[in-house]
Amino acid sequence: MNFDIDLVVRSLPLLLLGAGVTIQITVLSVGFGLLIGMFVGMARLSTRRLLKFLAAVYVDFIRGTPLLVQIFIIYFALPMILGQRIDPFVAAITACSINSGAYVAEIFRGGIQSIDKGQMEAGRSLGMTWAQTMRFIILPQAFKRIIPPLGNEFIAMLKDSSLVSVIGFEELTRRGQLIIARTYGSFEIWMTVAVIYLIMTFAIARLVDYLERRYKIDDKH
Amino acid sequence: MISIKNLHKHFGSLHVLKDVSAHVSEQEVVVIIGPSGSGKSTLLRCINYLEEPTGGEIVVDGIPLSGEANINKVREEVGMVFQRFNLFPHMSVLDNITLAPMQVRKMPKGEAQAVARDLLAKVGLADKAQAYPEQLSGGQQQRVAIARALAMRPKVMLFDEPTSALDPEMIKEVLDVMKALAEEGMTMVVVTHEMGFAREVGDRVIFMDEGRIVEEGAPEEIFANAREERTQAFLSKIL
Repeated sequence: MNFDIDLVVRSLPLLLLGAGVTIQITVLSVGFGLLIGMFVGMARLSTRRLLKFLAAVYVDFIRGTPLLVQIFIIYFALPMILGQRIDPFVAAITACSINSGAYVAEIFRGGIQSIDKGQMEAGRSLGMTWAQTMRFIILPQAFKRIIPPLGNEFIAMLKDSSLVSVIGFEELTRRGQLIIARTYGSFEIWMTVAVIYLIMTFAIARLVDYLERRYKIDDKH
Repeated sequence: MISIKNLHKHFGSLHVLKDVSAHVSEQEVVVIIGPSGSGKSTLLRCINYLEEPTGGEIVVDGIPLSGEANINKVREEVGMVFQRFNLFPHMSVLDNITLAPMQVRKMPKGEAQAVARDLLAKVGLADKAQAYPEQLSGGQQQRVAIARALAMRPKVMLFDEPTSALDPEMIKEVLDVMKALAEEGMTMVVVTHEMGFAREVGDRVIFMDEGRIVEEGAPEEIFANAREERTQAFLSKIL
């Protein structure tokens, strides 16, 4: 079998464009996921029963069903209720954000629980509200500790975002499929796509290592 | 200043405070002593609602402890010092002290920092404003914790075994700060095993055992001739 280097070179600009879109979905999804996850993670530790219950239902539902099915629900099932088509980009970001939020919620929950409970008591005893103590005392400390698992979540989302190709959204994997449909260069293109994913995940892993080391030193003071 | 009536506290099936009633007057220094597990720390923690009583009532400075709004109001008036300091490790000493006055009292930053520096000077740590808790000894950390509580200008200070986690040579520096505070007329409730402090600084000593107040009185009275057998037994073991 011949490896058609020329095909790789010709396809690279389109694939890199796709990679850019993959990064875009990942950053937006993990960004929204962080917001959702922070609040849901706190809700899971709430003393308000209903809030705690709803948060648990959300996390269990998302973690107990495949992302692919979640994407189908948002893109195909939801429009039947709304009576209106959903843009693939909006559907992709929504599904991935909601998915990421559940995993990030568990990461936040663990991070918050790892902070000594004397910290909350000290904050409350000074007259600060629960929310003030969370914001100024608990979350800043928890955040440093959850950098490594958040990095893993980022990498997982980058890879899982390939699933949105099924609704025709043109990220890296979908671009690969489209090029193969025209050129039949399955081997060359999938290998190239894999290498591009690898470079991106590797770069994120290094970035996370760097942040972790930086904050470890910061912690020492 | 503090009035406690028929207080009960259960942890599940464990009955840790049994019908406790007590009163603390303004400018009074009350020292609570007793064996571990006697409920003295729990009683102290009920006063600012870090533990929720299961029965009875507590009134602090005329404010009954009930409802979220009242609890925060009481906490603003009641400073607390913990056995394990509980300083905020991600903030400098200065930020530890200014955080609550700025967030709760809405004090401008400059003013909060001026107050913090005064308090640091008072506890003998004027040069440590920019240090982080980890860089300080246990005794220094506890003095910062006292300054942090004082920055809210509380009417009452609660001390929960403030010297129990300290190396012996650091105990005195903390007790000296507390003594100075008592001399200024601060109302204080202190849970401690430091009998020297109880005798010298306390206006009144409360002896607790098995969730009840067994005996209370002036320190010289309690230490010289306790009426109750259990008090005598406890004191004979530690003095």
